[in-house]
Amino acid sequence: MKSTRVIRLSFVAMLLIVTGCSNEQNDSSLALLKTTNPDELIVGAGHSTKDEETAKQVKEKVSQFKELYDVSVVEGEKEFLVAYKVKHMQRFHMKKIEKTLTNYLESHFPDEKFTVSSDYKIFLETIRLKEKVENGTYTNKEAEKRFEEIVKLRDELT
Amino acid sequence: MAKENMSPKQQWYKQIESTHETKRPLLKNCTRAFFVGGVICTIGQAISYFYIYFFRFTEQTSGNPTVATMVFLAMLLTGFGIYDKLGQFSGAGSAVPVTGFGNAVISAAIEHRTEGFVLGVGGNMFKLAGSVILFGVFGAFVIALVKVTLMKLGVV
Repeated sequence: MKSTRVIRLSFVAMLLIVTGCSNEQNDSSLALLKTTNPDELIVGAGHSTKDEETAKQVKEKVSQFKELYDVSVVEGEKEFLVAYKVKHMQRFHMKKIEKTLTNYLESHFPDEKFTVSSDYKIFLETIRLKEKVENGTYTNKEAEKRFEEIVKLRDELT
Repeated sequence: MAKENMSPKQQWYKQIESTHETKRPLLKNCTRAFFVGGVICTIGQAISYFYIYFFRFTEQTSGNPTVATMVFLAMLLTGFGIYDKLGQFSGAGSAVPVTGFGNAVISAAIEHRTEGFVLGVGGNMFKLAGSVILFGVFGAFVIALVKVTLMKLGVV
């Protein structure tokens, strides 16, 4: 029959399109689907070893939360951006987790300012930023600017 | 009508009716609706990821363009006559997601096309779907009122 052939053809086409994506080996191309677990990233010029130490600590402490499974930490000049993915059945408590995490971070690192987000988009953008910084596509200034944009994206509602 | 209030004649009629009634394949209908509805929602999720991945939408904001795209696709499919067949096959599975909204608008428009553009298409297009829009707008208005009141009182 004609209609079954169309359905079968479109199915094959879909399969080809989907598998075509897997040729790229970048982390960011699959960051929405699989666990990436990126290292912490520090943007902006002139950071000290103390900054690196704090970023590492933040990443370690946030990773210990058992509701989360993928944590990305970016340290900007003024603030930290912590993006994470929540385990599927825990997504019902997303607001609560965000609140506890913010309180926890603020009590453990009282000198730092934190922006916390469970949004996939924020996570994806931190991975992309990290890749671009490591490739050398972004200069320090550009990376800082992009970082600010990502932080702003979090508060966007429309 | 409750069974106690029925007259003997009505009860007798009901008995006769039940012997002649064709049995509905309830389980089969439910399974079909479940799977077709699930497939539609999976497509919706894929579109939402598409907007997150390639455009400047977050998880919060990607809902709007996703709904618009799904409704648009359903309208196209209705126009080509594919969605009708899907609806016959899966029942509520294709009517409950937002795609059912697009189908309701366009199928009404096609049906009344012969009565002219203004009185036919324009007057009847939103006969089914209009109540959905009205309910949504009015519901949002009431909830906004409640929220504003609570915020002024300092509760939220």
